[in-house]
Amino acid sequence: MTAPEFRTCPVTGRRIHRDADALIRANAVAATVALLVGGIAAVLVLLTRWQAVHLLPAEWFYRILTVHGMSMLIFFILFFEMAILYFAGAVLLNSRVATPRLAWGAFWLMVVGALMVEWTMWTGRADVLFTSYVPLRAHPAFYLGVILFAVGALVVTGIFFGTLVVARRERTYTGSVPLVTYGAATAAIIAVVTLGHGAGIYIPTFLWSLGLMKVDPEVYRMVWWGLGHASQQINVAAMVSVWYLLGALTVGAVVLNEKISRSAFVLYVLFINLASAHHLLVDPGLSPAWKIVNTSYFMYMAVLASMIHGFTVPAGIELGQRLRGFGTGMFEWLRKAPWGDPGFSSLIFSIVVFGFVGGITGVTFGTEQINIIAHNTLRIPGHFHATVVSGTAMAFMGLTYYVIPLIFRKRVAFWPLARIQPYLFAGGMLVFSIAMTFAGTFGVPRRHWDISFAQAPFDVQFSPAVDVLIGTMAVGGLVAAVGGGIYILITVWSVFFGEPIEAREGANAVRPTPGGLDAPAPFPVR
Amino acid sequence: MRSGLPQGVSTPPRHSPSVDEDNERLHSRERGLWGSTPGTLVLAFVFLLAFMLYYFVNWKLLSFVWKVG
Repeated sequence: MTAPEFRTCPVTGRRIHRDADALIRANAVAATVALLVGGIAAVLVLLTRWQAVHLLPAEWFYRILTVHGMSMLIFFILFFEMAILYFAGAVLLNSRVATPRLAWGAFWLMVVGALMVEWTMWTGRADVLFTSYVPLRAHPAFYLGVILFAVGALVVTGIFFGTLVVARRERTYTGSVPLVTYGAATAAIIAVVTLGHGAGIYIPTFLWSLGLMKVDPEVYRMVWWGLGHASQQINVAAMVSVWYLLGALTVGAVVLNEKISRSAFVLYVLFINLASAHHLLVDPGLSPAWKIVNTSYFMYMAVLASMIHGFTVPAGIELGQRLRGFGTGMFEWLRKAPWGDPGFSSLIFSIVVFGFVGGITGVTFGTEQINIIAHNTLRIPGHFHATVVSGTAMAFMGLTYYVIPLIFRKRVAFWPLARIQPYLFAGGMLVFSIAMTFAGTFGVPRRHWDISFAQAPFDVQFSPAVDVLIGTMAVGGLVAAVGGGIYILITVWSVFFGEPIEAREGANAVRPTPGGLDAPAPFPVR
Repeated sequence: MRSGLPQGVSTPPRHSPSVDEDNERLHSRERGLWGSTPGTLVLAFVFLLAFMLYYFVNWKLLSFVWKVG
């Protein structure tokens, strides 16, 4: 007897397609493996940048830094986002996955591509860092691996759009798609543009690595950042979708105004790629007018979108809490929130650190004049660790605590550890990001193996405060690494050895009122 | 919260029985500028203050690097 095509989730009441279930699991496991590899590399890089320890020799530092960048920013994040696309497409719309066989083909293509890249990096054939700037040359298998991975991800985005069509045609939902699906769709649209840039630059660079053609370094930088930064914009759109999703699941947050939230997602699609220009602000070949138009005008439209979401998500949480009866005074809704639920605490930390540290520093550095003093210093990684790690990764971790019981149908293992994990990770990353940013303010360069410049023909002295800041950064980073390690332990243990949950342990099939998971919104602003 | 199950799974959030009346009251015009989400409005102003402070400090730093006159 064959297994049924669909099962019904006891908590959300949604019909979950068998292939969607399996694909979400496979992508989530692959993401966790990538996180483990990238996390080990992170600790090694951190212990080298901490000048008092200075663990790795120069050659291995750049090798491991490459591993860290690719494993975290590309493999972990994109595998997880593929899982989100299957969830937001098939699960939220009660639909089957369009072309499941192709979906599995895309998954294995991504796995093979990632393995090729990892092999070239670990064996010293691709010491080119995450940006792999031409004329630094890696083994052709590195570029081919990235291309295969990108093609696989592109196919998954195509399947997501196909699933939207299937759901519409088979009438598995009524009205507009839910806000979370809408947000995931914007992430998918940005992914198409991003991966197009990836193909646009990695295919000629692959041919260049074989000696078949030339690639201009400046053209490489311009097109590559259409991939390098835009891939982080997929993160932003996906992360914001996860914010709405977690808000609904944890405290019954409502969507304040569907039109405003959806318009903000559209702003991402229209303007966020142009923000990539801020990586080229000190490049000599581009005109000041081009730089100013992109970074002083268009970029702020994308920033506006984040500020809208930064208001509507907490406001939706507040309104949801007030409608649950926590409405006394200004902050009872926050005081009586479920702070012991790792899904909720992750959500709040993700919003706060992303906005207050990542957002503020990002907008500031995006100004051309200020960029002159911030460029290529530790301020830049200080900024993006606050956005991608404290923001996106933290949100994805929070979602995992719901994916484990809802999709894997297992209890979250080591529950007391799970409850404190977001505090450790977010607290550590907050200290790490702030200390890193301020070390950069004192001029400490990024991507540098030895800031004492030993044996260099010139002498550069930093303020003594730099030693304190780098030490603080290291302590914060190690605390975050412990938090990340706990997350991996919990995830792997829960998935492979976890205790299965019985259907009756869920919500007794009573559905909450989840704003953003249904359409139309239950409580529009009047 | 049952061990191993997040609260949103073990006891999903449900709005109070008087949700429609509460919603009506929260969106009443009498609440004025604070609206239905006053706490978030306060937090938004804290954010804007932090933004202004950090932005100003950066322009100040820039003026040390590129002195005029």
